[in-house]
Amino acid sequence: MPGPLEYGIWLICTLLEGAVVVCAIRSHSFRRYIFLNLYMALSFLVSVARFQVLRHYGMSSEYAYFYYYSDALLTIGLYFALLNLYSHVFDEMKVEHYLRVGAILLLGGTAWFSYAVVQQSSHRLFSHFAYELSQNLYFVGLVLTYALWGAILKLRETRARLIQLVLALGVYFSSFAANYALQNLYRGAGVLRFVTPLLGCILPAAWAYCFLRVSEEARLAPSRLAAVPR
Amino acid sequence: MSRKLTVVLLAMLVLVTAMSLKTAAVTHGDGSVVMANGGAPQPPVPWKNGGAPQPPVPWKNGGAPQPPVPWK
Repeated sequence: MPGPLEYGIWLICTLLEGAVVVCAIRSHSFRRYIFLNLYMALSFLVSVARFQVLRHYGMSSEYAYFYYYSDALLTIGLYFALLNLYSHVFDEMKVEHYLRVGAILLLGGTAWFSYAVVQQSSHRLFSHFAYELSQNLYFVGLVLTYALWGAILKLRETRARLIQLVLALGVYFSSFAANYALQNLYRGAGVLRFVTPLLGCILPAAWAYCFLRVSEEARLAPSRLAAVPR
Repeated sequence: MSRKLTVVLLAMLVLVTAMSLKTAAVTHGDGSVVMANGGAPQPPVPWKNGGAPQPPVPWKNGGAPQPPVPWK
C-alpha cells in the first residue's frame, strides 16, 4: 500500500488537475481548448475513482485492472488534447480536414499495431491490448509533440499561451522518457518510485499556471524562439 | 489527391518512428511501464502472475535476522 508521501503527491496532482479546468473556465478558455480541459477533467475523475477502488480493494488485481484500463482511456484523451493543439497551430492554413484524417489514421494504425503485438496471447487479450495501446500511444504522442514544436519554430508562432502549452507537454513526455531510462539504470533506487507520480504533476501544474498567468493575447517575439541568421 | 497521400505518408512515418523508438527503448528495458497518467500509485501489471493477487513471500515474514546456513 502507498505511504503518506505517495498519498500526498497523489492528492496534489489531483487538485492540480481540477485547477486546470477551473483556471480555464476563469480565463474563458474552456471551449477554445476543449480537449485539453476534457482530458484534465477526465484525469480528475479517474484519480477520484482510482482512490475509491484502492480504498475498497487495496493494492489488488482489481485495482491494477482498473488502473491500466483507465490509463488507456486517459492516454487516448491526451492524444486528442495534443491534436487540439495541432489544430490551433495550423488553424490559419485551413488544414483541419487533413489533420482529422491523419489523426484517425494514426490512432487506427497504433490500435492495429497494438493488436498485432498482443493477438498471440489468447489469455486476457483485451487487458493486454489496453496496456499495449496506452504504451504505444505514449510514443506516438512523444513524436507528435516534437513534430509540433518543430512546426512552431518553422511557422514562427508567437502566441505565448499556445507555445507554453506545447512546451509543457514536451517536458512532460521527455521527463517520463528520462525517468524510464533512470529506472533501468538504477533498478534498486527506492527514491525513483516517488518520481513517477511526481512527474504526473508536471503537466497539470504547467497548464494551470499557463491558463492563470498567460493571457490569450500575449505574444512572444519570434527571435526568442529561434536564432535567426543575419 | 496528393495532399491526401501526403497525410497518409506522414501518419505512417510518425507511426513507424514511434514504434521504432518504443522497440529500441523497451528492448533494453526491464519491461516496466514507460508512462502513467496522473499521480496514482502504479500497481504491478496483474496478468504477469496469472491475474491472482500476489501473496507476500512467506519466508520474508518476521523481522528476525536470518542465521547462516549451519551445514556450511
